[in-house]
Amino acid sequence: MFLITELIAFLCANLILTRALGTSTMFTAAGSRSNLIGTAAVITVFTTIGSAAAYIIDSLLPQSLDDIRLLLYTAAIGLIYTGLLFALKKFSGKNFYRYRKYIHISAFNCAVMGTVFTVSGTAEIAGFFGYISAGLEAGAGFVLASLILTAAYKRLNSYKVPVSFRGFPAILVYLGIISMALYALR
Amino acid sequence: MTLKIFLHLTERGLKALNKRKLSVFDGLWRDNTILSSLMVISPVIVCGNTLRNAAAIIYAFSAITLFSVMIASFVPKKLPYAVKITVNAIIASLVYIPVKRAAQEFFPDIIPRIGIYFPLLAVNSIIILHTEAKFFKMKRLNMLGSLVFYILGFDLIMAVISIIREIFGHGTLNERVVDVNMTISGLGEPFGGFVFLGLLCGLYRYLRKKLSEGT
Repeated sequence: MFLITELIAFLCANLILTRALGTSTMFTAAGSRSNLIGTAAVITVFTTIGSAAAYIIDSLLPQSLDDIRLLLYTAAIGLIYTGLLFALKKFSGKNFYRYRKYIHISAFNCAVMGTVFTVSGTAEIAGFFGYISAGLEAGAGFVLASLILTAAYKRLNSYKVPVSFRGFPAILVYLGIISMALYALR
Repeated sequence: MTLKIFLHLTERGLKALNKRKLSVFDGLWRDNTILSSLMVISPVIVCGNTLRNAAAIIYAFSAITLFSVMIASFVPKKLPYAVKITVNAIIASLVYIPVKRAAQEFFPDIIPRIGIYFPLLAVNSIIILHTEAKFFKMKRLNMLGSLVFYILGFDLIMAVISIIREIFGHGTLNERVVDVNMTISGLGEPFGGFVFLGLLCGLYRYLRKKLSEGT
């Protein structure tokens, strides 16, 4: 019973299904299952490290300079972006050209920036590890939403669906129905 | 009679927009930011449920995107892709500052309601991805024209979606009660946004196919 309650709480906190954050990115990566899972995994890295960076920025930035918060978050994500590309080039050798697309797609989007702003704006989340765990949880939520999408992706693209609704329109309606179920659970 | 002429002109206009050679107009119909490319859909799904929210989003999106892309077009093309993307995002974040200050004057009660979706407009897909993939491959004047139509395409669909969702979701328009027989409260919620946008996308694809068959 405890696990079910925790699972429902985790689903209800899902940023894609409840706040539509990162939906465009998910559609960009939805071409294949490996693309989607790869992107979701890299987004988790971005949300986790990005949340840690947000904690540092939030700790140092006075309230009067709130307008430049976005600029600082963007600079931080930019640093993580180039850092991850360097790390991939150094450690993956030939596979760099194969995997770099996941980093390019995942860097600047609503999933990452939305998570960073959500974590920063939630009063209950406090402390360095609180930020990191919230970032990790948001990334895991993105992975979960990707898995939910891949489960139905083939059927939503099947010839049985009318041509005009095949693919993205059907996926949007599908996500809407899941989002409605979560709304009811909340 | 007037309606007939209007419908005829609209049909002719849409057919003209469907033609391949009119690429500057792509963003308005054939490659619409929301309905075709599915870009910047988070604010549409969550905040596009009232006309006043939509007005604030339209203002911020238009201003941030137009000025950011125009300024970013002067960034040297020889820079590595990742650096260019980061610079584009930083330029957008800088443009966001005066846009937000002005928005606090024009829409003081709306900005807190929109919340995190307001700053997120600065990292929208048009600025981050479409600039390098499409706009910066064009001549500057063509780029400006194309960009304006991409922005107008977003603005138009955002306004239409928010009007329909406000009328049938809340029974109001611009926060004034309107006479509708039935309201569907879920239409104002994010899940209603997902479903409604999906249906609108399907309708758009159907119309686009029919019109391209006719040309």
